[in-house]
Amino acid sequence: MKWSLWVFLGAAVALLALPLSLSEFWLFIAIEVLAFSLYAVSFNVLLGYGGMLSFGHAAFFGVGGYAAALLVKKAGLSAGLAFALLPLVAMAVAAAFALVIGFFSVRRSGIYFAMLTFAFQMLLYTIALKATPLTGGDDGITGLKPPGVLAQPLVYYYFALAVVSAALYVLYRLVSSPFGYTLRALRSNARRVQYVGVDVRAHQLAAFVVTGAFAGLAGAVFALSSGNVFPGWLNWTASATPVVMAVLGGMHTFLGPALGAAVYVVLEVLISGRTEYWPLAMGVIIVLLVLVMPTGLTGLLRR
Amino acid sequence: MSEPILRVESLVRRFGGLQALGGVDLSVERGEFRAIIGPNGAGKSTFFNTMTGLLRPDSGRVCFEGREVTGEPPHLLARKGIGRTFQITSVFSELSALENVQVALLAHARRAWSMWRRARSLYVQRARELLALVGLGASMERPAGILAHGDQKRLELAIALAGEPRLLLLDEPTAGMAAQERIESITLVHRVARELGVSCVFTEHDMAVVFAVATRITVMHQGRVLAEGTPAEVRARPEVQQVYLGESA
Repeated sequence: MKWSLWVFLGAAVALLALPLSLSEFWLFIAIEVLAFSLYAVSFNVLLGYGGMLSFGHAAFFGVGGYAAALLVKKAGLSAGLAFALLPLVAMAVAAAFALVIGFFSVRRSGIYFAMLTFAFQMLLYTIALKATPLTGGDDGITGLKPPGVLAQPLVYYYFALAVVSAALYVLYRLVSSPFGYTLRALRSNARRVQYVGVDVRAHQLAAFVVTGAFAGLAGAVFALSSGNVFPGWLNWTASATPVVMAVLGGMHTFLGPALGAAVYVVLEVLISGRTEYWPLAMGVIIVLLVLVMPTGLTGLLRR
Repeated sequence: MSEPILRVESLVRRFGGLQALGGVDLSVERGEFRAIIGPNGAGKSTFFNTMTGLLRPDSGRVCFEGREVTGEPPHLLARKGIGRTFQITSVFSELSALENVQVALLAHARRAWSMWRRARSLYVQRARELLALVGLGASMERPAGILAHGDQKRLELAIALAGEPRLLLLDEPTAGMAAQERIESITLVHRVARELGVSCVFTEHDMAVVFAVATRITVMHQGRVLAEGTPAEVRARPEVQQVYLGESA
């Protein structure tokens, strides 16, 4: 596949060179695209590869964001140390939450699995809203800032690019690994896969925890760029975002959801700058998309 | 005397008020090719699903190679050496035939949790061998879902064999096939099982298929074992003729 290598190199060069020509406003948007790319791809490893439709993936994005915020603002560490620990802490905390939520949720499949993840997420949303001393309640946690030179948007962009690229590479290896093959087999036929000796629940739980951890990392990367976290990050509407991104970009390619994230975020900026009816426009786009190209943008490109 | 590979003692399973299995006993020796026959509703499929961990028995015991495995979940039974195929063909439709077998080989090698190695090149040789063994040489790269019904059945056999089972349980291995195809199909299973030294238990409707390959036959009726013996013995039993063979004669 020669052309895919060229596409990859082209994308790499664009991602490295592009920010040099962007205004500060668009730099922040670019960072948002990176964070949501990771969020959407991590979600799609569950959905597109594992066939698990989680309505609660925002829980881990939000938990990662709050973990980052609390580490920076309230842990009492030096700014540099807090920041250095941030990716690991965000992933570990999100993974811990995913382990508990997943433990109960993978006991059911299909719509019941979706409802359980949804319910747990709303639980966390309520906690974020009400546990004011810890989470700042309705006001969230604001005034977050990366230390030193990283506070410059351009530098932070490259930091985010490095973190997200590394994370995407790990996820790519995951879906290409025996674990990923087994995950695809599980989506295809969960009963059959039991009879080749796979513990289906344990496998699903592992996928849930790993993808939850990377969603947490995405949340942390975004939190430090946007400067704040709000309970809304944990709201159920936030769980719809990666679904839309995955469908928009294409569920059946690894990077499709990342492309979907880029298109979604940029469209949101462009349309919401012109009209307050941005959700209406997005709704129309989604309807057209699903009807006209159910395989998403990447499906269109492959044809 | 050697331990039977499979011993089932008074297995009972109820669905609400209906007793689907009313205390089934079964003993299968190593190397057997055992047929379980019986009219529709005799409890054959329930018996299979209760033995293989899909349903929990209400009482009774299942022992594999002398160790009790009653009620154990499917993945543990598979790891112990019990393979199975399904009445409605059950493969991984979106995966290629080769990947189907690779997944089974990876699970058997306890590598399903390996998260870093690239799976594409793992166990390719062994997977090709297994596919060739069941006669699926040419169509290995195509998605399993578009294979012909008979080829999917072959693939399912290859998946089951990838786990190196010592006992293979086949639920209606010839379901949905034309008469000629059925004999070919069961002969293939029979030949491969012989070659690999796998003991088999299968349920079947078609008497021609049963008498072509079975070493012994167990007849089920209304959730119980009605008769058991060699094909000749079973054929001679009047009560068997009455409830089952009589119907098709």
